[in-house]
Amino acid sequence: MTESRPRVAVVVFPGSNDDRDAGLALEKLGADPVLHWHAEPALPEVGAVVLPGGFSYGDYLRAGAIARFSPAMRAVADFAADGGLVLGICNGFQVLCEAGLLPGALRPNESLAFVCKDVPLRVERNDVPFLGTCEVGQRLTIPVKHGEGCYLADTELLEASRQIVLRYDGENPNGSVDDIAGVVNADGNVMGLMPHPEHAVDPLLGSTDGALILGALVDRARERLFAAA
Amino acid sequence: VLDLEVEASDPDHARAEVERMCAELLANPLIESYEIELAEDR
Repeated sequence: MTESRPRVAVVVFPGSNDDRDAGLALEKLGADPVLHWHAEPALPEVGAVVLPGGFSYGDYLRAGAIARFSPAMRAVADFAADGGLVLGICNGFQVLCEAGLLPGALRPNESLAFVCKDVPLRVERNDVPFLGTCEVGQRLTIPVKHGEGCYLADTELLEASRQIVLRYDGENPNGSVDDIAGVVNADGNVMGLMPHPEHAVDPLLGSTDGALILGALVDRARERLFAAA
Repeated sequence: VLDLEVEASDPDHARAEVERMCAELLANPLIESYEIELAEDR
């Protein structure tokens, strides 16, 4: 880890499959990614944590239901309680909901079909660390690929506490309530979203809008680790 | 339906154990409900 490259943990569960893509994207955006095996109870010194997409523990029972008992998740919860940035992408979002670090739950898509496509999103807040480089109302194009992305939560409560940060802009790919694509916790340091920003950091893949989210995370990780230096 | 075998001293303890399992893992109360039926001793 150097001052210019903050260490960011990507937690690897059995069945994670976007861990390496997340690592590559974070590296491209200036971080020093560390793949952290879920059975390790202690996190190394990191500036942020990413829970990647995939099918942790085969998603048996419910997506994310078993992963939340992993030893690493206790450390992730402590890290979040200390104000550390935690980003859950797709299956990582499901794990954070099951762990109670984010409100709500994710059900099978309304269509009951797996969906895999680029989707337009609308930024609802830019005063959270993950979206600090976006404008409110900005349209981002980031791919989704999931079978259980139909978010459900008490939207009145979420609106009152301003926890909705991303909405599908136009077609809602999974039937999520109020077109919600991403939410944060009350403190704004834990975020979950169904779209995959790590798949949208290279123009070769059609969009680089994911770099806005992951790049902001890397910047804040750098601040957290090196503010005292 | 989930079939569980529970070792317990009496039906109340068995039910309490399964309640705890449902609350902690087997059901997500936001999106799922559950009922527990105790079967005969085996």
